[in-house]
Amino acid sequence: MQIKVKELVGENAMTKADGEKVYSLIHEPLIEGQTVELDFEGVEVFASPFFNAGVGRLYADLQSDALNAGLKINHLSSFGQRVLHRVLDNAKEYYLASPAHRQAIDRIVQDTASAM
Amino acid sequence: MMPLKLCIPLLNDKRQDFNKLAHLWQQVDAAGEKAHVHFDFSNCDFLRPNAVAFLGGLARLIEYRGGLPQFETGTIRQEIKTNLYQNGFANVMRIDSPSWDGNSIPYREDSHEDQNSIVHYLKSNWLGKGWINVAPTLANEIAGQMWEIYTNAFEHSQSAIGVFSCGQYFPKSHELLLAVADFGVGIPSNVRHHAGKPIHGKEAMRWAFAPGNTTARELPFPRGMGLDLLKEFIRINHGHLEIYSKDGYARVDSKGEVYENLTNFFDGTLVQVRLVCDDTLYLLSNEQESSPFF
Repeated sequence: MQIKVKELVGENAMTKADGEKVYSLIHEPLIEGQTVELDFEGVEVFASPFFNAGVGRLYADLQSDALNAGLKINHLSSFGQRVLHRVLDNAKEYYLASPAHRQAIDRIVQDTASAM
Repeated sequence: MMPLKLCIPLLNDKRQDFNKLAHLWQQVDAAGEKAHVHFDFSNCDFLRPNAVAFLGGLARLIEYRGGLPQFETGTIRQEIKTNLYQNGFANVMRIDSPSWDGNSIPYREDSHEDQNSIVHYLKSNWLGKGWINVAPTLANEIAGQMWEIYTNAFEHSQSAIGVFSCGQYFPKSHELLLAVADFGVGIPSNVRHHAGKPIHGKEAMRWAFAPGNTTARELPFPRGMGLDLLKEFIRINHGHLEIYSKDGYARVDSKGEVYENLTNFFDGTLVQVRLVCDDTLYLLSNEQESSPFF
């Protein structure tokens, strides 16, 4: 399965909402063991919310080996690569934290949100 | 109700100027709902973009609270007036004067996160007016980094009136300046809610700039990294980033990072970035990472 990211989100891959569009298309196929190609040809500007929402959260259900085997990233600019690497390092750290620690972090944020 | 006369002083972008901006906000805040506020420029002979963005937002804040901002245009000196008309600020002053394509960088208001419009502004009106020579790859990288400022403002500030920005190019020093203001809750307030305990403004700012930290209110996946990437970009490329947010202050440049408490502040965030516009100075992220992504 190939996804042309430019056709999905345009020239700017920057927002959480656009990242979620990508995630919703690739999450299930990757879980099922399919190979997915994200083709970034023509996408020019990148920012961390897009990769956090689109790719970083895949670590919740998939390990590095499965992602390296199943998710192919092509035509991503040097800057896009740097942003993606940074986001993925952070995501790995988040999901490597103990479930209790992660739940504690999430609970604080959730309580805060509902109190606002 | 007697109108509030807001005396706008000379406004540069140093700490003392920020204090003056905070004082203006404090007067408006004290005037409460439905205030009539007259902006008097008799004592103003200079306005930096941070002040333009701030004053535009302040006028919208007064309107949002049911009040009426009124710009005393007769008190505005001609050179400032020309600049404000040119950059599109006339609309805020309720003057029907179209902006024109001169040397100023347009003032803009964004009520929602429209990434394509903001990127177009950054690439075409801020970077791309022909006054600097930037390769397309560098322009894309800078636009992405500046977007992190906007997305932080939209996501974290909960500003009811949006985000306000303005810029300037300094031909002698080849520097570009971008100022972005919002009148939301501010970074320290978010960090305090996140932590659930009192934290000094400077510690809250330090926390917000650390890799991976975020006060984003939606769950549940890892966030953050935007300010960390921006910080790295500014430091490597001899830029200068200042953030005044509620009672916290942060400055990042090639010398390092400084965090301070503010005793004189406003409810919101004012960000100012200065970039040196010589692409021979820039260290682009050309190094291809050889390690696998995952």
